[in-house]
Amino acid sequence: MTGAINGHLRQITRRTALGALGAGIIGASVASWPRLTGTDIPGRGDNSLSIAILGTAADAAARQRAIDAFSRIHPEIKVKVQAIQAVDWKDFFTKILTMVAAGTPPDVVYVATEGAQLFAEKLAHPLDDYIRRDAADMADFFSDVHPSLVEAFMYKGSLYQLPMDWNAANMYYNTAAFAEAGLDRPADDWTHLDFRSNLAAMKKARPSDFTPYYWTNRLFGGVVPWLYANDTSFLKETRSTGGDWLWDGFYANDPSRSLRSGGYQWLEPNATDGRVFESFDYLRGLVKDGLGVRPEEGGGNSLVGLFASNRIGTTPAGGYWVQGLHEAGMGENGFDVQFFPRWKTQRHQFGTAGYAMMKTAKDKDAAWEWIKFSSSREAMELIFPNPATTPARRSMVNADLYAGKGPAHWKVFYDTLDRFPTTGPIPAPPQQAAVETALMKNVSLAVSGDEQQLKQALASMQRDLEIALRRQP
Amino acid sequence: MTTTTEHGLASGPAPRLTEGLPEVRANRRRFSWNTAVRIILLLIAATLTLGPVLWTLSTSLRSPSESFKLPPSFIPWNPDFTSYGQVFQQLDIFLLVLNSALVTGLIAVGQMVSAALAGYAFAHLKFRGRGALFSIVLATMMVPVQVTIVPVFMLIRGMGLSDTLLALILPAIPTAFGTFLMRQYFLGLPTELAEAASIDGASPWRTFRSVYAPLAMPGMAIVGILAFNFHWNEFFRPLILTISEQNFTLPLGLVSLQGNLGTGSISVVLAGVVLSMIPALVVFMFGQRALQAGLTAGTGK
Amino acid sequence: MSTTVPPREKTRQAARAGKAAPARTVRRGTSRHSQRWLAWAFLAPTILGMGLFTLIPIVASVVLAFFRWDIISAPTFVGLDNFAEVAQDPTVRVSFLNTIVFVVVAVALQLGLALALAIMVQEKLPAWLRVFFRSAFFFPLILSAASVSIFMRYLFNEQFGVVNWLLSLVGIPAVPWLTTPGGSAAVVILVYVWQNFGFSFLLFIGGLASIPVETYEAASIDGATGWRKHVHVTLPLLSPTTLVASVMAIISALQVFDQPYVLTRGGPGDSTRTAVMVIFESAFQRLEFGQASAIGVLLTLIIMGITAVQFRLSKRFVFYQ
Repeated sequence: MTGAINGHLRQITRRTALGALGAGIIGASVASWPRLTGTDIPGRGDNSLSIAILGTAADAAARQRAIDAFSRIHPEIKVKVQAIQAVDWKDFFTKILTMVAAGTPPDVVYVATEGAQLFAEKLAHPLDDYIRRDAADMADFFSDVHPSLVEAFMYKGSLYQLPMDWNAANMYYNTAAFAEAGLDRPADDWTHLDFRSNLAAMKKARPSDFTPYYWTNRLFGGVVPWLYANDTSFLKETRSTGGDWLWDGFYANDPSRSLRSGGYQWLEPNATDGRVFESFDYLRGLVKDGLGVRPEEGGGNSLVGLFASNRIGTTPAGGYWVQGLHEAGMGENGFDVQFFPRWKTQRHQFGTAGYAMMKTAKDKDAAWEWIKFSSSREAMELIFPNPATTPARRSMVNADLYAGKGPAHWKVFYDTLDRFPTTGPIPAPPQQAAVETALMKNVSLAVSGDEQQLKQALASMQRDLEIALRRQP
Repeated sequence: MTTTTEHGLASGPAPRLTEGLPEVRANRRRFSWNTAVRIILLLIAATLTLGPVLWTLSTSLRSPSESFKLPPSFIPWNPDFTSYGQVFQQLDIFLLVLNSALVTGLIAVGQMVSAALAGYAFAHLKFRGRGALFSIVLATMMVPVQVTIVPVFMLIRGMGLSDTLLALILPAIPTAFGTFLMRQYFLGLPTELAEAASIDGASPWRTFRSVYAPLAMPGMAIVGILAFNFHWNEFFRPLILTISEQNFTLPLGLVSLQGNLGTGSISVVLAGVVLSMIPALVVFMFGQRALQAGLTAGTGK
Repeated sequence: MSTTVPPREKTRQAARAGKAAPARTVRRGTSRHSQRWLAWAFLAPTILGMGLFTLIPIVASVVLAFFRWDIISAPTFVGLDNFAEVAQDPTVRVSFLNTIVFVVVAVALQLGLALALAIMVQEKLPAWLRVFFRSAFFFPLILSAASVSIFMRYLFNEQFGVVNWLLSLVGIPAVPWLTTPGGSAAVVILVYVWQNFGFSFLLFIGGLASIPVETYEAASIDGATGWRKHVHVTLPLLSPTTLVASVMAIISALQVFDQPYVLTRGGPGDSTRTAVMVIFESAFQRLEFGQASAIGVLLTLIIMGITAVQFRLSKRFVFYQ
């Protein structure tokens, strides 16, 4: 009797519960409809100037002050910044291409050297006419920015981006580890042999639990700086003609004027070059003798933590690293920076980034106004408040920026460009993704076996690069 | 401990599947020795399974410069929660959770309903081409999502749903595996029920509504939990189909914590990983029993 | 076949069903007719959804395999060029081989481990320990493969990872896990199996539960004990579960992406590049959608072939009660 009533009750409550659940689900979906369709994202679908940057919402918020300043000058232009999260630039470009494919391309994209030629070839609009038109405004910018950085954004005689920030692959070292091994600060023109003996000294002082040279396998700061120092590269580097309008217009008196061209071109693989072998062999020696690690593919996630915990003697990195080390708890005197070691030359590798205007931009004049404004000292100070990267303007790379964070020799960062004017960009033709894969996938094998394996790896790299370059960009 | 076997869906408080296979009495003494070895092996396996998770938890509670301490410590004696603060600073983690919950929840509900209906049709309704259609449904399981993603992407664009959460939800609702599970589940229900109903002259709809639908819940729960588990952790489709950070789901947000050029801090990344475990853990704790019991039903045949 | 409803529940439901369905005379023809309508109505969401989001895309993918298309400009017909290029591309070949090796090793490990643990857990154990072990083995499944790969990367670090530290305790020198072809392949497999064996484990637990006790009693009378008991009784009776578990494990392993993508990015060399990674790279990093489709079509054919073989074999080896 009571059992039947209970059962009945149970059935009612169960039905009620199910009904409530169903209603709840429907209610929740209706309430979250704007979220489901993305219509709650501010600025979505309106005609404001959309700017895509690599970063998080926090980075987008950091740009808000720059946007506010821009709006005071150009109240008629509405701007929205879209922060796009990605683990590396390749990932970021994939996202931008996806946006293009989805029919919602941004108007302006913050593009690094890795993608400069891909964008120039396919997606971006040259800035030449705007620069000529506003030459008076631009003179201030170019006078404060080293021409090497500008040349990285030249493609077939046209300029596609203005460099905003950049980083060269210098050599970071742990001051305590150097002192422990009885080493002084290396000389400005230390060689790859000096470097090696320093590593050996550190290894001797601290045989376990410590890596004298830590490096990662990627396009920036991996094997390429050693190729550049040895006056070679894994791709044949040529220059195109043109661009004189820019160099004569803004850099006529620059000491390195004669070096400048219409832009870099990488058309042929060069992995079987004798000096490429030599550089790889040097790295292989470091790995074999336990002085350097075998590099991880695309790695580097653990780098800041490892360096900050005093387990690494040296590693190649640029000015962007200072803020990360500071946040990881490394004191300003715990580390310092020196030029990359010299081999046949002391040519460095750098990467830089700036805004590219998309061909599809709805209002190109507005897009240019944003690009021009962003290159102003006022805007750059708002955008780069801390040493999480190196500003392209020489005048901003000053003691204030590094105060309390180190390194002691922060001057090394910009001096790299002035002292070594042949310093070149990350080699990145329009087929960058394929080229990068072709390089990276052969590096680990090349440096972690015997000489035979190295030769095989380089031959396979040559073949992979050939396929990569043959692809339509 | 009991040695009774009770098949299938347990209604008692503990997951009472087979509570132990019967032991052979003659070997009792050797058995206790065997049991000890067995427990040790199981403990080793459990340690290997849970150890990495514990390490993740304890490392997320240390500062980056101490994160590579060796020997590793698995118990955080002096927890340092700054990394967790930084996760909240760098990511709008509530939005990520909301997105993941919306996407996963609606997919789960959609799959439960559509799979229950289709599974029932395949199990108990007669129509021409049933076998062939069921084979086709099963065959779709074999096509990797990477193969269809580009056309799906264009389809989504055509529907005006690019870079929305609906773009993640709609294509995931039809489920071959869920349909398969529900079919097996309905087949597993005793046929006397339907016979009784059809003798009474109930229409097919009536039979479904009054006889089978009330019994479908446990099976649907399995489909729902599996859908939740899979899509909560899904990486590839969100990687392609969402662009705006506002539309990211948790796994995407976590990977981006690693930072450009690896400038991210290990502790922050691991703190994010730990935070993302919590909602799944809650669902797991509530759903575990239904899942364990239900999988018995669906695949034992 | 196992019954899925405990007897008590069963009778209650039957009684309720009997009450709920009032006597009504319906002619058989109408019933069949209405069954058909009901079937199609019930199938509609699934069939329409699959048609739209799976079948049409598959056809589109096959068509796309004959075009060159970068999504930005208009597609151009290139005939069999994509297939020819794919056939010549050593990376594609290696990635297919990798995928097959991965599937064989990972699935074997996953099923073997899951089965062994399931048998051990289901034998005599205190109840709380059994619950603990079951939960522990299932736990990795609730994590995302991406985040698992993130922390596993740290654990397998050559210089500072916990794994090598543990090995050093027993005197094994540091293993270059992520930087050599063999090591990174091993890591991808281990991480994948670590995360997925729990699913097969659950299936086996279910399968073991449905083996009648009497079977074992009969076996023990015949003198089968210990492992022989399992070989002669458990394995044959478990074969239907094993079939389902292996089909599912193989299908999921064939599509492995997250682990190698986050752990190794396919390297070093092409040693951990899988077939679906190559599809992803060629489509979304190089914008060669035609070529990506061609690879996808080939992969799908291979998967279907393997599954067909599996079912054919199962007819010979699976023991149905």
